[in-house]
Amino acid sequence: MRVCAVIPAFNEATRIGAVIRGARQYVDEVIVVADGSLDATAQVAREAGARVIIHTENCGAGAATMTGLEAARRLGFDVAVTVDADGQHATADIPRLVEALRNGGADLVVANRFGRKNIIPPIRRFANALGNIVTFLVTGIYLPDTQCGFKAFGPRALLEVQLRMSGFEFCTEVIREASRHRWKIASIPTKVVYSEYTLAKGQSFANGLKTAAKILLRTFLR
Amino acid sequence: MTIPEFTPYQIVVPLFSLLMVAYAWNLVLRQKKTIWEGGLWTLFWSVVAYISIVPSSLQYLSGVTGIKKNENAATITAIGVIFFVLFYIIMRLEELEQRLTKLVRDKALRENGVVEPETRKM
Repeated sequence: MRVCAVIPAFNEATRIGAVIRGARQYVDEVIVVADGSLDATAQVAREAGARVIIHTENCGAGAATMTGLEAARRLGFDVAVTVDADGQHATADIPRLVEALRNGGADLVVANRFGRKNIIPPIRRFANALGNIVTFLVTGIYLPDTQCGFKAFGPRALLEVQLRMSGFEFCTEVIREASRHRWKIASIPTKVVYSEYTLAKGQSFANGLKTAAKILLRTFLR
Repeated sequence: MTIPEFTPYQIVVPLFSLLMVAYAWNLVLRQKKTIWEGGLWTLFWSVVAYISIVPSSLQYLSGVTGIKKNENAATITAIGVIFFVLFYIIMRLEELEQRLTKLVRDKALRENGVVEPETRKM
């Protein structure tokens, strides 16, 4: 099984190098999608040994992720693991996600930040719970952590996935794709490290509400 | 046995609801909507159809909201339609955004050599 890591990144020059070096130990190739970054994200990623795909405009996390997944399937990878560029995910958990695909028979593995003793701010917990509820309303699938960017796509999921949402709402769309194509989903507890930096880079609560409204709207009018 | 007399509104709205439900399940069959979404859509339009056939079912809501006169109901309906149109425009804008994203993506993949120029879709 050829495995790659897909890292969507927007202005992550200070963090992405360490993330790539961490991921490279467990995958065959790291694909970074520099999503209209204005800093040296692309250069740092290249120096760290990643294949860098550059979006000339900032299209959003969902669009960048889909570009990375598209590249992964065109390059003939069997598995793609998506990892956030801000360093909040433990790349050492990549083998566990891949293992769930390989031996667990899953098509999609979603990391669960709440399945282990992680220090997560209450507002984040609340926002994620809201995200889980919205995802359940639009897909009928309940997972403990639908909004986590740390996911592994197996051969079938990688072949069939087609994300249309550009922003952070893509996390819910991935679950919708799983429902649409009837993929088998697994949830694996994972470590997460929140810092001031990752909290500042993540979604604000207001943005989360906007995202929820967009998802509900799109579901209804689709 | 007496046949109840329906107003045109009570005939048109359920028929329109039926059409919307059929449209939704057509999308489900074409795998553009999930079964869950088809179910939600059916539930929504069933409620709309039921309310149009049995307007008295809204008496409780009427008490809560204070909407009692037909004119008020018409105003609320009009506002609902305006919101629907507004949301529809938002969706069309999103579609344009998606097209732009696709252009940016194709360009990025081509420049990286992931997609050969001769194999790209026209």
